[in-house]
Amino acid sequence: MRPESQAADGEIVRAVLAGDRERYAQLVDRYRDRYARYATRMLGSVDAAEDAVQDAFVRAYDQLAQCKEPDKFVGWFFLILRNRCFAERRRNRSSASLEAANDVAAVDRADGGAETAEQRRALQRALLELTADQREVFVLKHVEGLSYGEIADRLGTSIPSLKMRMHRAYDKLREQLRDHT
Amino acid sequence: MITLVALPLALLSMQQGTGIAQRLTGRVPPQIASLVEELGTAASARGLPIDPLIEKAIEGSAKGVAPERVASALRLVAMQLDTAAVALRDGGLVSDTLAIAAGEFAITAGLSGSDITALARTGANPAALTVGLRVAGTLAALGVPPAEDIGLVSVALRSGEPVSALLSLPANVQSAIAKGATPAQAAAGLARAAAAQAAHGPPPGRGGGHPPHPPHP
Amino acid sequence: MSGHELHPLVKQLLDGDITLADLPAELRAEGEWALRLLAGVDRTDVSMPAVTWRVMAQLERRRRRFLPWLLAPALAIAAALVIWLVPRTPAPASLVTVRFVLVAPDAKQVSLAGTFNQWDPQATPLVRAGATGVWTATLMLPAGQHQYAFVVDGARWVPDPGAPAIDDGFGRRNSVLTL
Repeated sequence: MRPESQAADGEIVRAVLAGDRERYAQLVDRYRDRYARYATRMLGSVDAAEDAVQDAFVRAYDQLAQCKEPDKFVGWFFLILRNRCFAERRRNRSSASLEAANDVAAVDRADGGAETAEQRRALQRALLELTADQREVFVLKHVEGLSYGEIADRLGTSIPSLKMRMHRAYDKLREQLRDHT
Repeated sequence: MITLVALPLALLSMQQGTGIAQRLTGRVPPQIASLVEELGTAASARGLPIDPLIEKAIEGSAKGVAPERVASALRLVAMQLDTAAVALRDGGLVSDTLAIAAGEFAITAGLSGSDITALARTGANPAALTVGLRVAGTLAALGVPPAEDIGLVSVALRSGEPVSALLSLPANVQSAIAKGATPAQAAAGLARAAAAQAAHGPPPGRGGGHPPHPPHP
Repeated sequence: MSGHELHPLVKQLLDGDITLADLPAELRAEGEWALRLLAGVDRTDVSMPAVTWRVMAQLERRRRRFLPWLLAPALAIAAALVIWLVPRTPAPASLVTVRFVLVAPDAKQVSLAGTFNQWDPQATPLVRAGATGVWTATLMLPAGQHQYAFVVDGARWVPDPGAPAIDDGFGRRNSVLTL
């Protein structure tokens, strides 16, 4: 096996397009976990998220020639994953909330115990009741820790419209969770 | 007639002889090379595969193991090849070198001749049985006890499942172990599910099939 | 404004624009509820190591290739008899993409040695992913039975912690890969 270097994304993309297909695995390794959490919170289940991330990478490979800025692969890939997550939600409206109760918060029993776990489950269930747009802005800000400015850049929307989405999300969460103290 | 038969046999052992030497050149010390030639020629005359011997010799030398230790390991491989061949013959399968090599692997992993005979008696065709033996050895390497191991692989072989299903058994067992089952429980659970499926057809799915997990993380 | 909507100031609190201390007393309780809500957000990292393998395997499945079956050279007449006498040989094998991973933060070099590369510790170096100490290599291997181990710093033979292991006959363990 020829040794690999710490190549930039653009270099790898160009190499793959030139026929060095194996190197695509480097990109997958590099970014598969970066959006794993986002996909998991969006879909409410690690299994569904794994499928979505896998699909998104395969799709990105298929469309690699259309990646206009190979050096910005990660941002372009995020949009593909985002579309895939949004499509998944449309497909699985009814079953997602059942899965959320079981999958999420199964980890971290040491961190706060049963109460925290139940809180997390309740919040994840409530998140799944939001529209995908509302859930996304909540996840990007409060799970991924991005600022409104960063979210606006990534999604190509304005900060005021993001805030409107978010504030609507807060109200719906309040409605869902008002019995949880 | 005799001449005709003798000619190809001579060619065969000549081929095997040059084959062995070629694959060992530069990779093993001379005394190991001659031991492999000796064991290999005898083995192939009995219809046994020689690849396991060649690979073990190369492995030992690459690992810097003392020649005497490589020699004992080689004799052990030769013995296990014999045991596997006898076990398969008892189960109704004669002279299939890939199956014998797979049986030798299963024995290294801790299974016995009678375990191999049991798998051969499922009546699976040689190709499927070969995969079954490899999978049985892999399951043993995961800690599945022989009874549950042979139980699971037999069910899979008897139900005529495709090779890909057999190959996914170790990963499924590993998954179950990761979730807290013992290896024995994991294998027994899968065997029950497979038997039920064979009897009643596949259970209704929740939708969204999962691609098989890799045998390796 | 319905009773279930949050006060605009509490929404600013959630956005991080103001603090609890900035809220008037009558909104304190609502503000505390809001902060408890945020505390309930699950921020656990999620890792999906299997995705790399599965993506590459899916791409490979759409592009199957077969190893040519090489027939040993033989005289024409003898060939027919030899084929009758030679036991079953393997059918054309398909290739599977396999990703090998070892976590070894203190290692200076890691390579892979196994039945597929004549156990040569120089043949297949792993690549380190930055500072994390995760070493990886991707190979395309024929279907069949493989044994292997990692070689750390040229001298230490280490079986794969995530794979089934068997006795190597030399006092160590080999990892098993059944494709």
